Amino acid sequence: MSDDYPTLFRSEPMSLVQLFIPTEVAHDAVAELGELGNVEFKDLNPEVNPFQRSFVGEIRRVDEMARRVRFFTSQIEKEKDVVPIRPLYDSAPLITVGPRAATTIDELDVTLAEHESRLNQMNESYQTLSDRMKELVEARYVLRETAVFFDKAQAQESDVRTSIDESSAPLLQHAERDNQFSTATVQFDLEFVAGTIERTRLPTFERVLWRVLRGNLYMNYTDIPEPFVDPVTGAETRKNVFIIFAHGETLLAKIRKVAESMGGTLYPIDANADKRADSLREVTARLEDLQTVLYNTGLNRRSELVRIGESLASWQDVVAKEKLIYQTLNLFNYDVRRKTLIAEGWCPTRDITTIQLALRHATEESGTNVPPILHEIRTHKMPPTFMRTNKFTEGFQTIMDSYGIATYQEVNPGLFAVITFPFLFAVMFGDIGHGFITFTTALLMITFERKLAKADLGEIIGTFFYGRYIILLMGAFSMYTGLLYNDIFSRSLHIWHSGWDWPATPSNDSVAATFNGNVYPFGLDPGWHGAENGLVYTNSYKMKMSIVLGVIHMTFALCLQVPNHIRFKRFSDIYSNFIPQMIFLQSIFGYLVICILYKWSIDWSTSPTAPPSLLNMLIGMFLTPGSVDPSTQLYRGQGFIQTVLLLLAFVCVPWLLCMKPYLQYQEMKKIQGQGYVGIPHGDEPPRASSDDVLEGEEEGNGRAIAEDAEEEHEQHDFSEVVVHQVIHTIEFCLGCISHTASYLRLWALSLAHAQLSEVLWNMTLGPALGMSGLFGWIALAIVFCLWFVLTIFILCVMEGLSAFLHALRLHWVEANSKHYEAGGRQFMPLSFAHLNEA
Amino acid sequence: MEALFFNVSNGFLEGILRGYKAGILTQSHYSNLTQCETLDDFRMQLSATDYGNFLANEPSPLSTSTIADKATQILVDQFNFIRTNSVEPLSTFLEYITYGYMIDNVVLLITGTLHERDTHELLLRCHPLGVFDTMPALCVATNVEDLYRTVLVETPLAPYFIDCLSASDLDDLNIEIIRNTLYKAYLEDFDRFCKTLGEPTYEVMHRILSFEADRRTINITINSFGTELSKEQRAKLFPTIGRLYPEGNNALARADDIEQVRQACDYIPEYKTFFDSGPQSAPRANGNGAQDDLFNEESSVAADLEDRFFRQEVHLNKQSFLQQFQYAVFYSYFKLKEQEIRSITWIAECIAQDARDRIQDFIPIF
Repeated sequence: MSDDYPTLFRSEPMSLVQLFIPTEVAHDAVAELGELGNVEFKDLNPEVNPFQRSFVGEIRRVDEMARRVRFFTSQIEKEKDVVPIRPLYDSAPLITVGPRAATTIDELDVTLAEHESRLNQMNESYQTLSDRMKELVEARYVLRETAVFFDKAQAQESDVRTSIDESSAPLLQHAERDNQFSTATVQFDLEFVAGTIERTRLPTFERVLWRVLRGNLYMNYTDIPEPFVDPVTGAETRKNVFIIFAHGETLLAKIRKVAESMGGTLYPIDANADKRADSLREVTARLEDLQTVLYNTGLNRRSELVRIGESLASWQDVVAKEKLIYQTLNLFNYDVRRKTLIAEGWCPTRDITTIQLALRHATEESGTNVPPILHEIRTHKMPPTFMRTNKFTEGFQTIMDSYGIATYQEVNPGLFAVITFPFLFAVMFGDIGHGFITFTTALLMITFERKLAKADLGEIIGTFFYGRYIILLMGAFSMYTGLLYNDIFSRSLHIWHSGWDWPATPSNDSVAATFNGNVYPFGLDPGWHGAENGLVYTNSYKMKMSIVLGVIHMTFALCLQVPNHIRFKRFSDIYSNFIPQMIFLQSIFGYLVICILYKWSIDWSTSPTAPPSLLNMLIGMFLTPGSVDPSTQLYRGQGFIQTVLLLLAFVCVPWLLCMKPYLQYQEMKKIQGQGYVGIPHGDEPPRASSDDVLEGEEEGNGRAIAEDAEEEHEQHDFSEVVVHQVIHTIEFCLGCISHTASYLRLWALSLAHAQLSEVLWNMTLGPALGMSGLFGWIALAIVFCLWFVLTIFILCVMEGLSAFLHALRLHWVEANSKHYEAGGRQFMPLSFAHLNEA
Repeated sequence: MEALFFNVSNGFLEGILRGYKAGILTQSHYSNLTQCETLDDFRMQLSATDYGNFLANEPSPLSTSTIADKATQILVDQFNFIRTNSVEPLSTFLEYITYGYMIDNVVLLITGTLHERDTHELLLRCHPLGVFDTMPALCVATNVEDLYRTVLVETPLAPYFIDCLSASDLDDLNIEIIRNTLYKAYLEDFDRFCKTLGEPTYEVMHRILSFEADRRTINITINSFGTELSKEQRAKLFPTIGRLYPEGNNALARADDIEQVRQACDYIPEYKTFFDSGPQSAPRANGNGAQDDLFNEESSVAADLEDRFFRQEVHLNKQSFLQQFQYAVFYSYFKLKEQEIRSITWIAECIAQDARDRIQDFIPIF
């Protein structure tokens, strides 16, 4: 039955398998299994430190390779012009399995190391060259700026001379003395220090100098306009040229020392203008040479990076895979004497053949003839839950998985969510137009699936893309419910003849439509649209419909308990849990649904009694059981039937509360009773024999469950069972009422959606359609754009998200609480497929 | 009252900090680390802790100094994050934490310059938390007055320095005096500042700072035996906020040997235990070679003492996390982290030099 095809109804049957893998094949076998992606390996040496495991050396080597690859990536990213990286699907695969695997890895290691050292060398030489270039540029600036300064000083020479009388400026006194020696040539024989310093440090530098020299200095500085860029880090620094005049060798020495310790660079500048010009020429010439060298070095470096970029993606892939392989190998038990690795893990029973084929393939590939041995172990451990999804069901399954992972082999609500989820969504979102937009969007995403899957879409769009099949179904179902509600962008469709005729003569008074005998075959009669009591009608209709849908949905969810009870052989639960719950739900709310349907089917205009309020009827059923006001009676014998139903519901509460604990108690008693027989020491021969049997059984069991030491033996604590059942009962009974009320959100959201879209229409497009002439057309175009954008963003996206959220809640809370245990553990197979996402 | 408004400005930072604190290595981490065979194992072990991949991009032959540097860098980053997000008075409080490092840096630079080391090398060795703008200019100074006038006058350390101006020349002894005077002034000032912050902070900080003060007092006393430091000078260096003040300080000022130090500390139960087992383990030698033995004994006591001081400091800092709505946690966390880095470096050093027998001598925190 379910063994023929994989099904979503229950999770896959799993097997615990044990693999004996010869060391030579281990790497290739794991690689093969990783490509296959359906074995989850258990950690067989959890007590061993991560760095004491068998393959730490290999992991470390791979780590080192990964570091090199990361280094390349960061270098390529830092490069200003984009270096092309050839994508993985475009590059030749690097084969790391088979007999040549070790050499391939060695070669890769060597290649990476070579590239790294070459790149480092280039970086270094580039660095040195740029440093020298920076120095030269700085020197050039210093020469230029000081020249400007000297020129200016020359021009102001007369001013200097007049100001020398003020003896407060010792520097100028010195200048004056120089000037006296050589006034004619205006020779600056002043002692000075020139250099460059970072701009941020300049104020500090100035302050320190002032304090060190007690103000005996004259300092001038200018900004260097262009920033210096560090070739490695790419950081910009801005610098200033300074020139400081001071008197005396000690002071100058101090200035030099301070400048150097503050990170400044000093340049020897000659006081003589001609010599300065000479050195400027020299510096410029050297700068030009250096620039060509630097350019070539940069070019070389770039071509190296381009070469790296060509195979970087495949290296990344290989390194990541290798690391995963060795990490997996570390989970295995290494038997040194027998040269084999022992692995244990879970895999889907269905795939064992595939796995065996893969293992054989790995053996052939690696060129040895000792195949790995795989055999299944019987165990009592709870296997992980594995749902085999495809791209269509994946999204729906994720919705349920985010609530909780199903217990192993439990009925999976994800399967039913495929239909119920979009349907409940559509009840809230019913509009043909909006549904169509949603449907088309999803359809486009599905059409360009391959292209979009490769592109990086970002988090938000990516989420939508992931749920594209959900959106598709949501759109399709919305169109259907839109047809039912007869809503298209808040307008209505006239497909068939309406059942109502409006009087032909227009008048300001309210008029009544007359029934013409037509019955609108599908959906809401368009005659209701725009009618004064249209809202009252749709409200009543949608409210009742949501109750009907809700009760059906809950009943269905409740029924899903039964296959679980049967599968897990808890037959007593069927009549201690399922049947009372079902009776309770149906006797109150099932009855309500029947009443709703019955009320709909009666033509109240010809009925002798007025239509009764069902809400009051339900309240009356609880408050005054047995008596129904004849004026609001729905059918004959109503009082009696309601009393019976109420009694049924009340009986269910103690039934639900007591039966399960009682059964448990019985069973416990039975086990204890048996236990009293076994425990006394075997003085009497007949009991000794029974002990033997018992022991034999125990031994047999022990063999059956293999090394299963940590078998969870649930302690049947009676009080726990009682407490659990009390909580369960209260939760269910109160839940029935609140959950039914909760389904009214279907009505509320559907109403809100319809009203919002109508408001939007009336505020924008409605008035614009009435206008005529050229102005009318222009207004129409503008208003249409506005309307369309608002429709997309408010009605489709925002309202859609809110309806999605409510549909989610109805599934998680209202439906799942009826049957879903969700106590499982996700199956996490070793797989290379998701390597890049991690 | 402070509980009412504390979280308005500091709740976020305290949360962050307590998160950081949760990342401090525990005993089990240490026991894993001590089992490492090589520094590469060490790196792998550390990457499983809160340190994460901080060493992942270092080329393979790791050195201990890289580990220490990188770990310190993490500490500095965390500190700077907290500092930039803090508001008064927490920001001033954090500033105060850096002053201690500043003093160390100043002394390091002066000493280095005195011994004619390369300035840039010295600058690299400075603690990044204590770096200030004009620091490099320190190496120009040749005497104390110069030092003050040129550099320190605009740093926050200036007020502390006033007391040192009497010492004229820079030599090793004077530098030590400067360091201790600065530290004394710093501790007293910090304590005063904490007092302005009000109760829960002051209560905790005073406990830590007074221990710090006593530690310095005892260390100064022990280290001054056999040097030319006079007793009056020594007495001046003792901080006045410790629990030993004033009787203990006076007694210590008169002390001549380790026995007297012990007697001076006797009346404070916590400190009493520091001296308990030390001298007993080294049986007293009477008679010949007493001088030599005494010296050995003193040094071993000092080493032992240092260890116990660290343990006590860790203990006090751990206690400050028991109180809410106070700033002392910030101080304590960074001290604990510093201690952790010391421990890591110690273990790494032991692994690198294959000194397995001493690997357990680190100070665990949790």
